[in-house]
Amino acid sequence: MNAPSPALVAPRPERLRLVGQRRQILAIMHQRLMFGMLVYAGIVALIALRVLWLAAFGDHAGRTQGLTSLIPDRGDIVDRDGEPLARTIDAWTIAVHPNKVIGDKLALAQQLARLMPEYSAEQYFALLRSNKPFFYLRRRAAPALVEAVNALGEPGLAIEREPDRLYPQTSLAAHVLGYTDIDGHGVAGMERAFDAQLSNIATRGEPLTLSIDSRVQQALEHELSDAMTTFSAIGAAGVIMDVHTGEVLAMTSLPEVNPNAPGAASPDARFNRATQGVYELGSTFKPFTVAMAMDSGVIRSFGQQYNCPEVLPAYGHLVHDTHPFGRVCTVAEIMEESSNIGTAQIADQLGAERQKQWLTKMGFTGTVPIELKERGRALTPGSRWGPFETMTVGFGQGIAVAPVHLAMGYATLFNGGVYHPPTLLKIGPGHPLPPGKRVFSEETSYKMRALLRLVVMKGTGKRADAPGYRVGGKTGTAQKLINGHYSQTINITSFAGVFPMDEPRYVVVVMLDEPKATPETFGFTTAGWNVAPVVSRTISRIAPMLGVQPNMNREPDMSQVMPFVHETKE
Amino acid sequence: MSSRSFRSVFMVASCAGAALGCYLVSLRVASERASLEDVETQIVSTQRDIRLLQTEIGTRGRLAQLERWNVKVLALSAPAADQFLNGSFELAKLTQPQRKVDFQAPVVLASAPRPERRPVLIGEESTDDAGVATTPANLLHEASLKTETREVPAAAPVNLPRTDAKTSTDKPAAAAKPADKKSVEKLGLAAAKPTKSATEKKTVDKVLAQPAKPVTKLVRIAKTDPLAPLPVKHSSKASKETASAQ
Repeated sequence: MNAPSPALVAPRPERLRLVGQRRQILAIMHQRLMFGMLVYAGIVALIALRVLWLAAFGDHAGRTQGLTSLIPDRGDIVDRDGEPLARTIDAWTIAVHPNKVIGDKLALAQQLARLMPEYSAEQYFALLRSNKPFFYLRRRAAPALVEAVNALGEPGLAIEREPDRLYPQTSLAAHVLGYTDIDGHGVAGMERAFDAQLSNIATRGEPLTLSIDSRVQQALEHELSDAMTTFSAIGAAGVIMDVHTGEVLAMTSLPEVNPNAPGAASPDARFNRATQGVYELGSTFKPFTVAMAMDSGVIRSFGQQYNCPEVLPAYGHLVHDTHPFGRVCTVAEIMEESSNIGTAQIADQLGAERQKQWLTKMGFTGTVPIELKERGRALTPGSRWGPFETMTVGFGQGIAVAPVHLAMGYATLFNGGVYHPPTLLKIGPGHPLPPGKRVFSEETSYKMRALLRLVVMKGTGKRADAPGYRVGGKTGTAQKLINGHYSQTINITSFAGVFPMDEPRYVVVVMLDEPKATPETFGFTTAGWNVAPVVSRTISRIAPMLGVQPNMNREPDMSQVMPFVHETKE
Repeated sequence: MSSRSFRSVFMVASCAGAALGCYLVSLRVASERASLEDVETQIVSTQRDIRLLQTEIGTRGRLAQLERWNVKVLALSAPAADQFLNGSFELAKLTQPQRKVDFQAPVVLASAPRPERRPVLIGEESTDDAGVATTPANLLHEASLKTETREVPAAAPVNLPRTDAKTSTDKPAAAAKPADKKSVEKLGLAAAKPTKSATEKKTVDKVLAQPAKPVTKLVRIAKTDPLAPLPVKHSSKASKETASAQ
């Protein structure tokens, strides 16, 4: 009964050894377990401490980055007064995933056709039955339509918001602004020229401020399109520029394009006639020839006389005038009546070399120096620049420049003779005025005021006058080169005007492409009849906005030219 | 013993309490911060809404649209050069022509009850011989108003050497009323109104002050016409009609 169990009696040595091993193993296990627990506790403590730390002092990640300020997906473009010209907004997009449609596809197609009638029910049905994974039904949808589509309750219809470029002023300054492609990258105008700045997250928060003044732009566009319709012209362009800074206040090219739907416009409409198109602008060039001659000492007074016959034979060609003098005439009269014959002789005296130098200094021989990528390059006689070409360039034929070129030249001529490259960005703290480059002497610039005022007061540009605003300028009617020949009936008419002439501040260049005669113009298609009134009306509208006060008692120093004008024919 | 055994419990409890307190504070801070974030998010979304609405308003009221409305309905045009003024003086000058126009209504003047006062004025001035610049001016006024006939020069020269030149040439033309009054004054003052002359002499002081009055009265009478239209259109028309009738 009390027989001791063998184990109690005496453990066998191998068993004892086993117990010792087990103890050792147990101890090691305890150690490892303890270590593991400590590591675990340490990690937990670390996390807990971190959580507590974050709870107490945590800087909520990402809080300051996008929430406190609104950064649009693409930078705004605003005019010089801050009026938005281009903005990116969230637009509604309606799309469909045909393979996710669970309802009756035929009924859905009918409902879609009722809501969006651009396609028929059959087309919608075919679309829904196709195996395409995704389809846009309408981009930039109106909220009411979105609500109606949402009410259909079909899970296969996707209604989303996506950033969309909107031009609130529609076609206003469209050629300056340009437009974007479907992915929101600029493909024309300033959208293209400043695409990097507008899409970079670091810079797109600040709007791009243009030098354009939308009110001035609207006035110019309205008056110009009015004239274009009246005279059935195929195109028109206009530029208004600040003579002292080169800021372009308005620039338009017609026919217009709506940047909200650029695809709908014709390639002709997308062409920027103001910067891309180069034209032989005719007599508007004559003031440059006279100014060059004055600065070079060829002309010493506006009373200097030239022989102005009915026709001038020169270097194997004949130079004609629309209003031939048939007598000796002064420089003042040459400008007043826009005489090719007189100007040709002045240019001839000036010589080809000097003419080239001047035109290069004025920036007339290269591309238009402006921010836009759509820039034309002036066409000059090049290697054929001989004495007769010098004559024709002198009165504006044989050289083709963009309207912006012309505006730039007039700005240089009338701001005291200093060249500033034209710019579409507002001159201000972020974009200071670059140093100018002297082209004409101040005295020449001053004297030319009276000469161009004379053209508007008594010469070919009478209809460009805006009472009280002292408009000065020059008309230009150039025959259009068609199939290598100058057409006798088809013209490009232009007017380059500056106001107020006693203290020049703004230059207006307006051009009509192929204007037709109307009964009001008595069959004439010359610039004095069709573009000059546009300048008059535009200046009357914009001058008060630009702070030019009308004054009937102020004029430039007309004593420079008046003594040299033959008055009898009036 | 018991206190010693509970001491650790107290320690643990106080530690736990302190930790809990700290945690509550931080929780409070975190919740405040979260609500602040909510407000900020709200501000941003509101800004976005504002932007959207501004864009919509801008689009609906775009310049081309305004221009279209202007062409069709409003027909506003840019101000002409002569509509700009250099200051308040030029603005004030614009109102003067209206007064001049008022003076062109001599018929009203003729029917007014001034005749009694004017003779008095002239008489007194002549007696006083003050010769104030204002009184001749008054006479000039009347003269310019009544230039029709030149009958009186024969009768008038007798009266006053200075004033005659002005009054006699003009007033006679002023038809029966003013001329008569003066003649009455000189010829028949005693006969018609002996007492009045006395009273008038008493009122010399007043008269001295009065020289201005005729001027104002002239204006006042003239003013009645243009001011009348203000209350109602019909009344203005009526008043004009009456005036013209007069």
